[in-house]
Amino acid sequence: MAKLSLMFEEKTVKEVPVGSRPISIGRSPDNDLPVDNLAVSNYHARVYFEGGRLVVEDLDSLNGTFVNELRIERATLHDGDSIWVGKHHIKVDASGDAPVPWDSGRKASAPRINETMVLDTKARRDMLQQASAAGERVQFASGRLKVPTLVVIGGKSDQKEYMLTNKLTVIGKSAMATVKIKGWFKPAMAAQINQRDDGYYLGPGEKMPTVNGAPVTGPVRLNDGDLIEVSGLRMNFIYRE
Amino acid sequence: MRIVSGGVTDVGRVRTNNEDCFRIVESLNLYVLSDGMGGEAHGEVASELAVETIVKHCMDTGAESSGMQIGNIEPIWSEKTKRLTTAVHLANKNIYESAEANPDQHGMGATLTAAWIDGQKLSIAHVGDSRLYLLRSGTLQQLTSDHSLVAEQVRRGILTAAEAEESEMQSVLLRALGAVPDIEVDTEEHILFARDILMLCCDGLTRMVTEPEIAGTLQAETDPTKAAEKLVALANERGGVDNITVIVVRVGTESRGWFSWLRLWGRKKAAGNGSAGGR
Repeated sequence: MAKLSLMFEEKTVKEVPVGSRPISIGRSPDNDLPVDNLAVSNYHARVYFEGGRLVVEDLDSLNGTFVNELRIERATLHDGDSIWVGKHHIKVDASGDAPVPWDSGRKASAPRINETMVLDTKARRDMLQQASAAGERVQFASGRLKVPTLVVIGGKSDQKEYMLTNKLTVIGKSAMATVKIKGWFKPAMAAQINQRDDGYYLGPGEKMPTVNGAPVTGPVRLNDGDLIEVSGLRMNFIYRE
Repeated sequence: MRIVSGGVTDVGRVRTNNEDCFRIVESLNLYVLSDGMGGEAHGEVASELAVETIVKHCMDTGAESSGMQIGNIEPIWSEKTKRLTTAVHLANKNIYESAEANPDQHGMGATLTAAWIDGQKLSIAHVGDSRLYLLRSGTLQQLTSDHSLVAEQVRRGILTAAEAEESEMQSVLLRALGAVPDIEVDTEEHILFARDILMLCCDGLTRMVTEPEIAGTLQAETDPTKAAEKLVALANERGGVDNITVIVVRVGTESRGWFSWLRLWGRKKAAGNGSAGGR
């Protein structure tokens, strides 16, 4: 017989078998699976058998019901699937049932997506919200308003400080370089600093720069306070408040 | 700056139809790539409509369309950047309206990545999960952000990059042309330098081929069309599960009179011959 296990952070809170009667899920205590969390609606979702298939249906809940990672209104369930409501999830155990046409050896997945699809704005917002609630690993916030800055401490350049506001920063003699090195026989593009999702990376140009004395042959992530040297120019990379 | 480019599209090893579309307009240094989606043959309709609309709008220098602006257009952008961004909004509108008018086309859409080079200035307009890379002095940098669910989850720290690669949600896009009447277009301007290499590609390449392999191929093969062919062949060797489209654009050296000739001559002499050919 199919079984639903309410989980919170890998701990089983409650288990219920699914029989002929629908299993109700929600914040209200009179549900078969009460979920004590403010993100869960009073009567959030229900699970029942229909034509031999286990089905989950969202009851117009505020924050939505998700199977694995996809927000659903109604979806068939498979052994190993997870139904997410708020920060809790409900593990689906349908292993004891009549075989369903599903490759259970594979990683569990909700409505399978082979074709590319686009989420509408609401679905996308909800899913991301839900995903961050589920993941609890959001690491935005701190240090977001800090501006990466190059402070020149030695050598000749056209400015003493450069705020790195572009995705691509070129250090060199070129008239188009962000950080212009002055003097004879300097390379047009000595080095480059590129912004990526997780920070700023220093890479070589025509010259091999150094960071804190170590030569840079490929992109190296810069940390607050790093000392960069290239073509006679010495700079500190700092995150300015 | 002298620019050479080449592009290749391939159906891959699994699918029977090619929903990708690309166009290189050499006279303008305009490069447009689109990956269509939607049942039946509608992905092809969407990607073709996207590319057609954009090329047409960028080539049309008539007074009527030159001042036309759709969407969020920043006054500081160059005329070409404004025009390219407007063209992408126009493409979205055309696909959306076509799908509204033809119920069987409902749900069709397309990604769009376009690059326009004007002198040293590069204009980029982008929606979806196709990509534009810059290879500069051996460093490969993705200039576009993927508008996919997994990419957003990585940016938010919910998934690691490795988990994203394993995810079965890779095909879920947060933005594409044709899904809604108004979209947000990512627009960027950059300065190009001598010997920069640009590569536009769809996810059919990047799901099969790693970034170090892309960088290696672009560096080793100086002929842009051959480089694109090699990357497509590599994606097919790995299974070619989706259509694969690649455009490679190589920026030459700035000609600065006799001194650059002298340097070129010096380099040729040093390398024996041929190595300076593609630059």
